[in-house]
Amino acid sequence: MALACTAVLAGAVPAFADGASATPSPARSATQSATRAPSPVPTSDRASTAPSAVPSAAPTRAPRSGQVSVVPSGAPNTGVAPTSSDSHGTGALIGGGAAAAVVLGGGAVFLVRRRQANGA
Amino acid sequence: MRPFSRSALAAVALAALLTGCGGPGATAGGPANGTRPSAPTSSAPPAARSVSAVGRSVPVRLRIPAIGVDTPVMKLGLAGDGTVQVPPITAHDRAGWYEHSPTPGQTGPSVILGHVTVGAYGDGVFRHLKDLRRGERIVARLENGTAAEFTVTEVRTVAKDHFPSDEVYGNVHRPELRLITCGGARTGDGYRDNVIVFAELSSTSRS
Repeated sequence: MALACTAVLAGAVPAFADGASATPSPARSATQSATRAPSPVPTSDRASTAPSAVPSAAPTRAPRSGQVSVVPSGAPNTGVAPTSSDSHGTGALIGGGAAAAVVLGGGAVFLVRRRQANGA
Repeated sequence: MRPFSRSALAAVALAALLTGCGGPGATAGGPANGTRPSAPTSSAPPAARSVSAVGRSVPVRLRIPAIGVDTPVMKLGLAGDGTVQVPPITAHDRAGWYEHSPTPGQTGPSVILGHVTVGAYGDGVFRHLKDLRRGERIVARLENGTAAEFTVTEVRTVAKDHFPSDEVYGNVHRPELRLITCGGARTGDGYRDNVIVFAELSSTSRS
């Protein structure tokens, strides 16, 4: 049993080693090509550091293009009721009502007394 | 005292009482509190006709021919409590454009406010805003000479407690206009409701 296990393990290790050595080679070449390819890129990155000023200007224009940038809270108070003229009107009505009451009362008293005088 | 004289005096007292009670009720005007639900005056915006937006330029004048409005426009910002500023209470008050909203004709909801009444000075510049009807014109003249013409799509009266901030200030994908004033029953020295006019850009011209 132990011999069988060692035989299997001994056979498996070289198989891994073979496989590993065969398959990564294209991958390594790929990484190599990838590491080579970016080498000119940093130079272009440095070159593109100058346009980084453009994004900083863009956000200042963005809010101007439309939409409400700050939403107010609550409802606007766009009306002050004409209270002074209102109180004038109320006062006039109360005064008029009182005057009418006095006139009506006087008339009623006059009529009552006249009726009493006629009846006596 | 005879029965006739008693009844005559009672009639006089009743008449005086009724006369006195009639005054304040008549001047208060409007429906009693809580009886009128805030409902849209009109609804269902008409089919949109897309007009291309114009560049940013501050509004300097506003005309609404249907209700006789022709007013200069001032800039309004935010008050200390976070509410929108309103124009000053003066004899010849003017409308104000909320400066954190798009200018009229830009994509988005441009917001212009005005008073319905200005205290002892009487009627405000937006006194008859609630009388606007769907399809009527509003013209905003901009600082750069452009006239942005809008068409009313909806006039709504809403309770201040339920002010529709999303619908008024929320993003829209075409140039629109909101005119706001107060309305409804009086509460103290103010009003219970807001009147909001929604309009969309229908044309632009340069003078």
